[in-house]
Amino acid sequence: MRPRVAYSFPEEVLEHVFSFIECDKDRGSISLVCKSWYEIDRWCRRRVFVGNCYAVSPAAVVNRFPKVRSITIKGKPHFADFNLVPEGWGAYVGPWIKAMAAAYPWLQEIRLKRMVVTDECLELIAKSFKNFGVLVLTSCEGFTTDGLAAIAAHCRNLRELELRESEVDDICGHWLSHFPDSYTSLVSLNISCLGNEVNLSALERLVSRCPNLQTLRLNRAVPLDRLANLLRGAPQLAELGTGAYTTEMRPEVFSNLAEAFSGCRQLKSLSGFWDVLPSYLPAVYPICSNLTSLNMSYATIQSPDLTKLVSQCENLQRLWVLDYIEDAGLEVIAASCKDLRELRVFPSDPFGLEPNVALTEQGLVSVSEGCSKLQSVLYFCRQMSNAALLTIARNRPNMTRFRLCIIEPQVPDYLTHDPLDAGFGAIVEHCKDLRRLSLSGLLTDRVFEYIGTYGKKLEMLSVAFAGDSDLGLHHVLSGCDNLRKLEIRDCPFGDKALLANAAKLETMRSLWMSSCLVSYGACKLLGQKMPMLNVEVIDERGPPDSRPDSSPVEKLYIYRTVSGPRLDMPGYVWRMEDDSALRIS
Amino acid sequence: MGTLEQIDVPHTQSSSSSSSSIDSNNHPSRTPPPSSPSSSVCRKRTDLSTDLRLGLSISPSSQSQPPFNSTPREESFNWPPIKSILRSTLVGKQSHLSQRPSLFVKVYMEGIPIGRKLNLMAHYSYDGLVKTLGHMFRTTILCPNSQPLNSGNFHVLTYEDQEGDWMMVGDVPWEMFLNSVKRLKITRADRC
Repeated sequence: MRPRVAYSFPEEVLEHVFSFIECDKDRGSISLVCKSWYEIDRWCRRRVFVGNCYAVSPAAVVNRFPKVRSITIKGKPHFADFNLVPEGWGAYVGPWIKAMAAAYPWLQEIRLKRMVVTDECLELIAKSFKNFGVLVLTSCEGFTTDGLAAIAAHCRNLRELELRESEVDDICGHWLSHFPDSYTSLVSLNISCLGNEVNLSALERLVSRCPNLQTLRLNRAVPLDRLANLLRGAPQLAELGTGAYTTEMRPEVFSNLAEAFSGCRQLKSLSGFWDVLPSYLPAVYPICSNLTSLNMSYATIQSPDLTKLVSQCENLQRLWVLDYIEDAGLEVIAASCKDLRELRVFPSDPFGLEPNVALTEQGLVSVSEGCSKLQSVLYFCRQMSNAALLTIARNRPNMTRFRLCIIEPQVPDYLTHDPLDAGFGAIVEHCKDLRRLSLSGLLTDRVFEYIGTYGKKLEMLSVAFAGDSDLGLHHVLSGCDNLRKLEIRDCPFGDKALLANAAKLETMRSLWMSSCLVSYGACKLLGQKMPMLNVEVIDERGPPDSRPDSSPVEKLYIYRTVSGPRLDMPGYVWRMEDDSALRIS
Repeated sequence: MGTLEQIDVPHTQSSSSSSSSIDSNNHPSRTPPPSSPSSSVCRKRTDLSTDLRLGLSISPSSQSQPPFNSTPREESFNWPPIKSILRSTLVGKQSHLSQRPSLFVKVYMEGIPIGRKLNLMAHYSYDGLVKTLGHMFRTTILCPNSQPLNSGNFHVLTYEDQEGDWMMVGDVPWEMFLNSVKRLKITRADRC
């Protein structure tokens, strides 16, 4: 008889092997191989990612993975970033923190995105986890600087405190002084979203006593004349976000600053630059060639100053700028930044009716020609052509994320007056690895046929003011095999496409549709027939029952879940009951 | 590209069987009355319902349709899609720029008794200022950083600072200059 060695690895060995597999998806696959692998993975899973806080209950996660050290949870739909999700929608992290406080005393890392975090939650975090190290709150809300004070006072081993674009009620700048004098473990501090001034001397002391500080992102209230001092206290910094980059002109401030910057030889990322005074920018010139990341999206300076700065950053990989960069600036970047992978160009005057800068499709075409590693684009502009999109697609088949926002909705190709179907079609056809796509401009159902045909790796699609009929949505849902998130607003997509592809929704994380043509009746039907989906109608006009079944719902959010209906729905959200629920009642 | 031309062609059997799970869930009302797509919204002649056997008699009523094609700019709130933090930064900036103050100073040119007044805040750099003054006084003023080639035929720009000293324009950053300038004088280059 031959020994079945291959089947009988001791658990410890498999556990060790699994520990090298970090990708969440791969760990998920491992746990599906057999019962014993499921068990082994269950006990050695240290990291958990929850893409939707309502897709699974905290209790289920805690029961299945007893030894988690690091958790990432996401809450509200992405369109909450653009104000489409009403106040009070949900995504409260409270139940999660409570469950974890009881089950994971050794939890070290919490990363939350678009969730409501109260001061009580922060206090519970501060007191429950013995060795807590990382708190990253991205686009979160609901807490104040008092909650942060609790974190500062109790988490002796805190390494990262990042408040990325969170809405913090900034009560008191003294929360920073709650870090004990003996505390020295800080690696990353991001307070760029805070409104008020922090206690500057507390900040300076904190920064200078933490030898491992790598990332420091200040807020607008930190004045420029204090920056040099902060930098001198942390010459090892790799990432810096400045505060307001302006001050009353004094020659010594400039020379002081220039000297401090040139002492930071490790700096590779810069951001901030609120209210920037261009004459102070030369202070950073000496370190420009070290930079791999530059975010000037808050810096309102004109093209020549911006271009001069960026063109010296020859090793830049990520660049975020306002459209003040203009086509001419982007052309210089195309020639000088050969390592560029990610470009975001934001509008400086998004609501103006006339262009205020010379930025067109040409700037993006230039960069797509000059920067062969470019793979991620977010670009706001006012005109586009199919020819330009085709050129970009041919230049950069390696593109994985392409988000184009033509500021005026439903604008056709400005040269031919055709819809932009062919241009976006070229993008999905040539960019075989495209994961994320945002559409804008005049588009018919045809663009969705291209997307369904070619967008085989597409994971997230954002659509606004596009399409003609249900057929558009049907192409996407029936064609994009890897689609996980679909968000649609103001499109004439209705019941038929949605119901015909109901099974597809179970393979996706979520679908958002607002101001479309999905009827209340179709939502009810979908809710009845698909018990694994939460079909939530969001209607601020009052109960949808009060209108005919055929009338379209305001907003619709559908997501798959293994935990059934959520219990914290506000008054304007209605969950469509499934059949079993009807039977019970 | 054969497939791309078939926008109006009914869907194949495979797409209907693979995707319409509502059917396979034994939906009670099995007979599908073909719903009539409302004309203004569904411009293309497509009827998914017969293919996909949805078993639905629901179609959007034409009265309550959102106005997809009428002047979306005024009606579409929250567009373009920009995060609130960037939006508020930009709004702050716009008002900041529109309230740009004025700073009028006197300008004299050597040999001309009558002076002029000029708003320095309407300029953004030395180059722009020198250009304006060149037009104003119909002369060639050397740019601060350029080499004086043949000084005799050119002028240079000087200013009086807060301490009453006369300085050559261009040695300090523009904003610092704005803070210290009291008045300007255009001087013959060979006098400096």
